[in-house]
Amino acid sequence: MTPKLAARSLRGSGLDRVLPYLMLGPAIFLVLGVIVYPLIDGLRSSTGFFRFGRLIRSVGLDNYAQAFKDPAFIEALLTTARFVFFVVTIETILGLALALLCAREVRFIRRIRTTLILPMIVTPVVVGIVFRLIYASDAGLLASLARSLGMDPPQILSNGSSAFWGLVFLDVWEWTPLLFLILLAGIQSLPVEPFEAARVDGAGSWRTFVDHTLPLLRPVILVAVTLRAVDALTTFDQVYVLTGGGPGTSTQLISIYGYQTFFQFQQVGYAAAMLFMVAVVVLVGSGFAVGMMRRRPR
Amino acid sequence: MTRDRLGGLMWALAALAAIAFAVIPLIWMVLTSLKSNREITQDSTIIPMQFTGENYVSLFSGREFGAYLTNSIIVTALSVAIALVLGTMAAYALARFRLWAGMHRYVGFSLLVVRLMPPIVIIIPIFLAARQLGLLNTRLSLIVIYAAFNVTIVVWMMESFFREIPVDLEEAAMVDGDTRFTAFRRIVLPLAAPGLVATGIFTAISTYNEFLFALVLTSTPSAQTMPVGAATLIGRINIDTGAMSAAGVIGALPIVIFSLFVQRHLVRGLTMGAVK
Repeated sequence: MTPKLAARSLRGSGLDRVLPYLMLGPAIFLVLGVIVYPLIDGLRSSTGFFRFGRLIRSVGLDNYAQAFKDPAFIEALLTTARFVFFVVTIETILGLALALLCAREVRFIRRIRTTLILPMIVTPVVVGIVFRLIYASDAGLLASLARSLGMDPPQILSNGSSAFWGLVFLDVWEWTPLLFLILLAGIQSLPVEPFEAARVDGAGSWRTFVDHTLPLLRPVILVAVTLRAVDALTTFDQVYVLTGGGPGTSTQLISIYGYQTFFQFQQVGYAAAMLFMVAVVVLVGSGFAVGMMRRRPR
Repeated sequence: MTRDRLGGLMWALAALAAIAFAVIPLIWMVLTSLKSNREITQDSTIIPMQFTGENYVSLFSGREFGAYLTNSIIVTALSVAIALVLGTMAAYALARFRLWAGMHRYVGFSLLVVRLMPPIVIIIPIFLAARQLGLLNTRLSLIVIYAAFNVTIVVWMMESFFREIPVDLEEAAMVDGDTRFTAFRRIVLPLAAPGLVATGIFTAISTYNEFLFALVLTSTPSAQTMPVGAATLIGRINIDTGAMSAAGVIGALPIVIFSLFVQRHLVRGLTMGAVK
């Protein structure tokens, strides 16, 4: 919108002077009251010591210091980092492959795309159930398959390492479609000229991909990866249903640990401090992603 | 020619593999839910030998799935409606007026950053506030919270839609005697309708699916939503695989049916929700 047009629309009846603020007000107040205020409130309680949900005294930054002396916190942090790294890497590669596969316009391509994004529509809690039904050592899909082949059923959820990879696989199944969608939109908005030139030059499809598709797609990939990473950082629902963080602490992501610290161990201040540190990472990451999206010409 | 055909075949195989990967886990859940418990635990069949509806019957008699469904629909419909109305108003103001302190330039952006805030980081203060206000275990608390999260994305998406509609159209209508409001209703709103639909779809899906707030803020079937109902059910019936799979199917069914209804706009809605 050019300033001139804006100025023109501002000239008008007296109502036009206050109208935009009246229209903006309710939305802003709703967001300030329900999201921003609790965030600040959380920051405040992160410096307090609570007993039975009541603030006893202020402890400054002790809760934050405690986190870095807490082996369970460090472990949850490392598990989360490992989880985010693997799911984002795998999902990006698979999502890109799927996007390239589905970028061509053939019959039924809309149907195919809609089917492929089904996993990201299904309720996350139900995704947790779906994978319990696959991994269950008695009646799961893998167990039934193994039995019909005369093998022992695999014990996926009772072993720490395989439970972690089971969770990674769940996430890959559920969220590859998101990367697929974003990258598909990116591919469809690529300019045509470089690809025609490459074809004229007789470049093979792999060379074209490396020389043209990837570099042109880089900003979109960066946005998609950041968005997904920020979201994966606080994965909760599926873990809650699939493993509850176990066995042991092998799938205890930071969100699960924070949740338990508050609701089971009742350590309000400590849980708030922990989650606030996550919030900072999320805010920086999403601010970066949104900033990138704005710079991208549409 | 043969090379082309080979390429086509390879493409079809790859597409088929991708589709199988996406749907087999879901099909397995549906198949399990249609087996008798005996078949699940002892025979470990893949395809049920005998289809039965007993898991679903037990889900709706005795367990409160009707109530969960009602709560989910009420909470989702109201919070999305509130967000669409408030968000569209705000987006129009941002797109069409030059505001104090350059607000029209950064408000949408800031809201989007807020939107990406995961529930877990504000769940503690929200829980404490809801307890203080006596709003624990009410649908109202969920409606307000979801409306706030949804309004951020509505503003962000609708603002860019309004900006793409030339301001001249409205001004011409206003010269012809329309008020700002009637010009908005007659000219702008129809042009922005596809955006509104896409935004509505995205917010409806993510609201229906939300789990953490509902888990923490509600405790009985009078306010619990479908995801919480399904999750608490498996907490109670750990070993009843048949009921668990039926709960999964019922839990996902409303949103999958909704997605099929809006299929034409679905990909667009989800993509924009993700990237816009």
